[in-house]
Amino acid sequence: MRGVSRLRAVTGIGLTQLRHHRTRTLLAIIGIALAVLSVTLLGGVGLGVVETGQEQFDASGRDLWVTGGPVQLAPGTVGGFENTVVDAHSVAASIDSRADVRAAVPMAYQTVYVSPTGDEWETIVGVGSGVGPAVEITNGTQFEHGDVHYANGTYTGPMTHEIIIDPRTAELLDVGVGDTIYVGGTISAARANQFEIVGVSPTFSRFLGTPSVTLHLSELQEVTGTTATDRASLITVSLHADASPETVASAIEAEYPEYTVRTNSEQLEATLERQAVLLASGGSLVVLGVLAGLTLTANLMVSVVYQQRQELAALKALGSRTSTLVGVVLIQALVLGVLGGIVGVAATLPLVELLNFAAATLVGFEDVVRTPQWLLGAGLAIAVPMSLVGSLLAGWQIALLSPEEGLQW
Amino acid sequence: MNDSPVVECTDVVRTYARGSTGRLFSRQPGTSVTAVDAVSMAVQRGELVGLAGPSGSGKSTLLHLLAALETPDSGHVQITGVDTTSMGERGRTAIRRDHVGIVFQRFHLLPSLTALQNVALPMIEQGKGKRSRRRRARSLLEDVGLGDRLSHRPAALSGGEQQRVAVARALGGNPDLVIADEPTGELDSTASEAVLDLLADVATDHAVVVASHDPMAIDRMDRVLRLRDGKLTNGQTQ
Repeated sequence: MRGVSRLRAVTGIGLTQLRHHRTRTLLAIIGIALAVLSVTLLGGVGLGVVETGQEQFDASGRDLWVTGGPVQLAPGTVGGFENTVVDAHSVAASIDSRADVRAAVPMAYQTVYVSPTGDEWETIVGVGSGVGPAVEITNGTQFEHGDVHYANGTYTGPMTHEIIIDPRTAELLDVGVGDTIYVGGTISAARANQFEIVGVSPTFSRFLGTPSVTLHLSELQEVTGTTATDRASLITVSLHADASPETVASAIEAEYPEYTVRTNSEQLEATLERQAVLLASGGSLVVLGVLAGLTLTANLMVSVVYQQRQELAALKALGSRTSTLVGVVLIQALVLGVLGGIVGVAATLPLVELLNFAAATLVGFEDVVRTPQWLLGAGLAIAVPMSLVGSLLAGWQIALLSPEEGLQW
Repeated sequence: MNDSPVVECTDVVRTYARGSTGRLFSRQPGTSVTAVDAVSMAVQRGELVGLAGPSGSGKSTLLHLLAALETPDSGHVQITGVDTTSMGERGRTAIRRDHVGIVFQRFHLLPSLTALQNVALPMIEQGKGKRSRRRRARSLLEDVGLGDRLSHRPAALSGGEQQRVAVARALGGNPDLVIADEPTGELDSTASEAVLDLLADVATDHAVVVASHDPMAIDRMDRVLRLRDGKLTNGQTQ
């Protein structure tokens, strides 16, 4: 009973102190809330990237990804990308002929010049690929013809001049289905190649996070002058339902040891590994956010103790226990932690909406920031120990205060 | 009146190191100074005793020893018959809580708390419930003439009023001994007079020791002990 009475009294004094110093209290809550936000938002971005990546891979309808290494930028070359799969059509056809494979489609990325008029040019990513049921067409149709220009590697078949663009390209160029645009690896090549827009699809730009145009692989190779070695960035493989991705991947790798074959999850891991520095930076920011919150609380509480050291020493001289005075500081830290945590979590929700809107507008990715309940709970949970640990230094200072100090001023 | 002294010290000596920086690896040798040198004195309940002397004479050190804030290097200090000399910090804290009230020169009231809350604060340690603490604090503030200032914070009170709150706070634990260190040092003459009146009232049923430079305060004491260089110059009293 005596302990409860003491705890209530200590709580009352702690709350009174917080109410009395409103500005300081408000600033401390904001500081802790910012630390919580760094956890929830950066954690949400990391989680969103992984989950979005997984969903995109799942939605792609592909099971395996055959590459010759990461796609490298090649400045000074037409197209700007160094694609690493050689003889892509024939390798893809060989893989496609396997009984457990439903389809193997080579795909290349190149930077291309595009223009609706031939006067002003935009550089965007050109995707050379066939399209299938996994490609979502929001307006118009799929390609009407196959990749006939390849013509068994002679590149003498007719050019279909069909192109599918993504909604952002449509907005950028102010064009739509039925319009024509110029596309080429150089401006002169582009002026010689006019394509008709047959459909609008967000599928590839969702992967790439940038405006893109999609045309048949051989036609992309033709307009970027890369037909000689039939290069592609990768070959995507769809399997029959009863096939094991791991087993087929091993078999293809044995046949083509110069290439790497990854399942969806392995491809996502490889993508994330290439972004290790970025992910580490995000993680560091979370840690720094928590440390900043901890330091802020410590600084605040130490300041309070320093400011009131004479009064606290006087109370010690009057017989107050150190534990009572430390309790007053801890109660303040606890309340600041809880309030800062609640404000941080509450602010997370509208900020997530804002960030997702910005991401969808700027790069086309939707729901990039994801904050499941456990992440919000983690943000709240981290605020309280952060605040309490930050106040330990202040508690230690109180313990060191000598009661005689009250008589020295 | 009970003849046994509330506080009594016998041949107490307190020496401090002076000149040493106290820092690790410091090469500066410290010298020592004897702040209190073989002082013996006693104060009975109902006495208002003054400690007078120039700065550095040992008044504050003697007050610390009497209040069990420090322990002497030699000699003994007894409060209500209990020898505090060999007690640790925890034991002396308990002695202060139960037997000693202290009034500080600069009041040292918590600025965020009202007068009532400041007076009630040290009573937390006595295990009193909230109502009991508030009732006692209200009664003490009424006794010191601040019944109409209960909900005022220190910033809204004059210096004299703050010191009266501090006196009420010192009396919260119903102590046997009240120690006041320069209680009028921050006050004008009118406020000083009021605080000295109050301490004289307190001394009717407590032992009160006041250290002061203020001649007006010294004149109000029942008995004055003068210190110079750590020694009592007007004789030791038992």
